[in-house]
Amino acid sequence: MNWSLFWDLTVSGLTLGSVYALIALGYTMVYGILKLLNFAHGDVYMIGAFMGWFALHWLGGPVNPSATAWLVVVLMFLFAMVACGGLGVAIERFAYRPLRNAPRIAPLISALGVSFFLQNSALLLFGASFRDYDTFHLIGAKTYNYKDIFLSVPQLLTIVSAIGLMIGLTLLVARTKIGKAMRATSFDREAASMMGIDVDRVIASTFFIGSALAGAAGVMFALVFGQIYHFMGFLAGLKGFTAAVIGGIGSIPGAMLGGLLVGLAESYATGYLPQGSTFQNLYVFALLILIILIRPSGLLGKADVKKV
Amino acid sequence: MADELTPQVPPDQPRIGVDEWVASVEGKRERYRGPVGWLRRGWDTAPAGARLLAFVIPAAIFPLVTTEGNLFRYGLITLLYALLGLGLNVTVGFAGLLDLGYIAFFGFGAYTYGYVASVHTGHHWPAVPAILLAIAVAALIGFIVGFPSRRLVGDYLAIVTLFFGQAFVVFVNNGDRINFWPFNRTDLTGGANGLDNIDPLKLFGWTVNTTKEYYWFTLGAFLLVIILLYLVSESRTGRAWKALREDPLAAEVMSMPVNRLKLMAFVFGAAIAGFAGAIYGSVQTGAFPGDFDVGLLITIYAIVILGGAGSLAGVIVGALVVNGVPELLRDPNQAEWVFYTALVLLVLTKVRPWQKLVTVVGGTLALGFALVAIADAWFPRWTAGEPNTGKLAHWVSHWMLLPSHATQIANWAYALTIALILVLTLLRGWWRTIVMIPTIYVGAFAWENLLVEQTVGATRFLLLGALLVVLMNARPQGLFGTARVEIV
Amino acid sequence: MAATQPLLALRGVSKSFGGLTVISDLDLHVDEGEIVSVIGPNGAGKTTLFNIITGVYRPDEGEILLEEQSIVGLDPHQVTNRGVARTFQTLRLFLNMSVRENVMAVQYGRTKSSPFEAMLRLPRARREEREIRQRAEEKLSFFGQRLVGYRWDQPAYSLSYANRRRLEIARAMATEPRILLLDEPAAGMNPAETQEITELIGKLREEGRYTILVIEHDMHVVEGISDRVVALDHGVKIAEGSFDAVATDPRVIEAYLGLRKAETK
Ligand SMILES: Nc1ncnc2c1ncn2[C@@H]1O[C@H](COP(=O)(O)OP(=O)(O)OP(=O)(O)O)[C@@H](O)[C@H]1O
Ligand SMILES: [Mg+2]
Repeated sequence: MNWSLFWDLTVSGLTLGSVYALIALGYTMVYGILKLLNFAHGDVYMIGAFMGWFALHWLGGPVNPSATAWLVVVLMFLFAMVACGGLGVAIERFAYRPLRNAPRIAPLISALGVSFFLQNSALLLFGASFRDYDTFHLIGAKTYNYKDIFLSVPQLLTIVSAIGLMIGLTLLVARTKIGKAMRATSFDREAASMMGIDVDRVIASTFFIGSALAGAAGVMFALVFGQIYHFMGFLAGLKGFTAAVIGGIGSIPGAMLGGLLVGLAESYATGYLPQGSTFQNLYVFALLILIILIRPSGLLGKADVKKV
Repeated sequence: MADELTPQVPPDQPRIGVDEWVASVEGKRERYRGPVGWLRRGWDTAPAGARLLAFVIPAAIFPLVTTEGNLFRYGLITLLYALLGLGLNVTVGFAGLLDLGYIAFFGFGAYTYGYVASVHTGHHWPAVPAILLAIAVAALIGFIVGFPSRRLVGDYLAIVTLFFGQAFVVFVNNGDRINFWPFNRTDLTGGANGLDNIDPLKLFGWTVNTTKEYYWFTLGAFLLVIILLYLVSESRTGRAWKALREDPLAAEVMSMPVNRLKLMAFVFGAAIAGFAGAIYGSVQTGAFPGDFDVGLLITIYAIVILGGAGSLAGVIVGALVVNGVPELLRDPNQAEWVFYTALVLLVLTKVRPWQKLVTVVGGTLALGFALVAIADAWFPRWTAGEPNTGKLAHWVSHWMLLPSHATQIANWAYALTIALILVLTLLRGWWRTIVMIPTIYVGAFAWENLLVEQTVGATRFLLLGALLVVLMNARPQGLFGTARVEIV
Repeated sequence: MAATQPLLALRGVSKSFGGLTVISDLDLHVDEGEIVSVIGPNGAGKTTLFNIITGVYRPDEGEILLEEQSIVGLDPHQVTNRGVARTFQTLRLFLNMSVRENVMAVQYGRTKSSPFEAMLRLPRARREEREIRQRAEEKLSFFGQRLVGYRWDQPAYSLSYANRRRLEIARAMATEPRILLLDEPAAGMNPAETQEITELIGKLREEGRYTILVIEHDMHVVEGISDRVVALDHGVKIAEGSFDAVATDPRVIEAYLGLRKAETK
């Protein structure tokens, strides 16, 4: 067995998986509260990547940043997260909230519309060509290693900050007042509103947090892989979705686990399966189908019983 | 939420104790007055045959009065979209399944036809068996995709089919160089270059060749499908589909095998898409991976939703609007006319009473002329841009700022327009009227300086996306559905 | 033999959700032609009982026999095809379909023609379609003045609450069941309408020859219709017998009074 290949694949799988996990979290949180598949989420992630790019360029660009590289990166994350959070709140307010009591398919179609609108607005505003983060100039090409395991700085940054964000989210949901309100709302929206929880605010907060995580994921992806373009949200969104479903949609630890699994599966498929670098997406698809057949409610999800 | 979020169905049940009030509004429906109401009532009471004629007659006259190019762009393509819409209407409209891989079935139809009838592969089947095979392949694949998803909630179906649509694109893009069992390097799809040189349809000695002939053939196919679907929709199966869309659990308890019915609807839709795909492949004498992307999916969804999910007539109107309007936008001069006509109509019909209407129209005009005058005097850069081609654009340039190097400013104007429109939906009364003035002006500015240049690509699609959102919010039942005045 | 075997029999049926036992070790039988009422305070498990019988939930334990054949594990539509039909306490009509279509749609299980036969308008499809329509109108006519012809083509959402309940019953009848399960048919009705429902249920047995299992809170209705009354509390059968016997049973009174006390607190 070629261990160095294995470790390379593992590292890039974990990196990719961190990105997917952050995207999946947004899907899962929104699904938990609204039972809505937010198709626009992948495009929020794309917008996040662009916002990071703009922040980078307002701060002087990768070659001549006007502050130290670390500060620039932090500011890029902050800006992308805040912008995406705001975008998410706006999407919820205008495209989903009026449809909260409509038949279930209505908000789904509205979500589809938002997704397409964002994608093409990005095409219109940012153009069809790729943009480059140029991480090489910004951070340099330094790598860390432990024996055979090599980690580049952006990879390390991605994995560490994703873990940080997930811990933060878990604490937020478990410990804070708004987290409690979110759990209550997802458990029973009507009862929550009768107990004096401002459900609209809770939902808006959920969208803000989920979208901010997607924004962070967009910046991470761009730092590692360099290039961004208007259509990048589609595939990433799809994988995030898949991750959420595999982990058990509605479950927060499930989303994290699902994200890592999808990332690793994709990475290993690239290295080990026939024509993996061409068909890695088909292999992920096969994994999705497999999980759905074996465990329809996902790895950590619970089967739901409908009340009649 | 830390551990799991148990899904909960939002309560959608009547409340007890409103009986008196209920009784007093019994039978209430959305009402229309004036000519619209007259047309509507006429339409609602007309027999199905008469309604079909109302479409067939203009459709039959159209090729006699138009040019080849227009027949292709407005006639043939609309018919193909409408045919595709019919299939999606079964899946989404009748049965309420969100099928996001629908276009892949269309693609399978085109590729199957191309595989058995093209120079590329060297097979040359006649049309009837080739089309039947295309339908069968699409239906079979629909069955395979639908089968694992059939037990699952609608949401899972959406994800699986969305991924399936993507998998299809990956597959056809690389279908010429798969080198493991059972394919071993057979050229199935022509890869990224697609299947070229697909045969025209050969029907019992008649070869369908010209646009006109294709138009007639597709019209026939469309009529066949719509009539058959009408018959199914009025049968036990059609009623069961509608019932399960309304309430799957009640349908199941009321003797309908919901899973089997869902799968059936899914396969029906796939089969119709396969049929449309076979025609499409021969119309453009090729099948290319790029033809089966998300853009087409959204287009077909917009058609079905605009017409009203579940309405067969709605599909026709939806296809006319969704294909026709962007085609009109292709030519910048026409695009100007379409934009300003739509804008004026919107303002005229939506702004009431007349005091507000006068304010909005007067205010917008005054704002524009004032800005142009100011810019002329002090900021010449803001009027230094070239007006777009066409008479209307020339007139508009007296009212509209056209900066040189407008890209950056126009981008901001676009973002600002969206923000203003969103704000508008929150405002009421005179505030709304007042904010409407800058909204219209900034919107028109973004149109003139940015959107009009992209009408073939981004603009067309972002308008479709916005259309879906607006429709879902304002008129979820589409043009042909009746709004439900819910009593409870 | 036939006279001694119940049409529907439950033996030792239990069901719990998570830790909450909703039905425990329940025995119940309904004979051919009987009207049996199930009473019990809110949350006693009455609706759950219906859900178990119709296959919406699978019982954790126990047997359910319809004409001596087990129906446990069948899908709801299969149970209905065996001859069990129900109404919903919460009303689950197909709101956007017309009144007539509601009653026509549920005859799916009774008919056979495929969509292809419908497309080609083959004889069987046409005959079935005629029969479906006839049966729908026949069932709707059962309600006389309350659901008259002009309403049949109106969408179900335009019906009043009481008429929705009637349509639920018509819809259940159209599946041609052996046994009808009615979940609180008089809920939300005014006194006059309640009186009507009482008469209607009697008429269902006399003219429709249905066996009926009914959940009802209104004691006047229960008194008026029942051959036998079964009282449930916390999923346990606490009394069974004639109306008078059950209504005076101390455990039943306690179950209701206890509830009332709790409510006034
Ligand atoms: N799917 C479910 N999951 C969890 N608990 C359930 C479910 N269905 C019913 N229950 C619980 O079971 C208990 C009995 O409910 P059920 O609806 O059978 O009562 P009921 O006797 O019909 O009451 P009512 O008179 O109010 O209609 C209730 O506590 C209810 O919350
Ligand atoms: Mg109940």
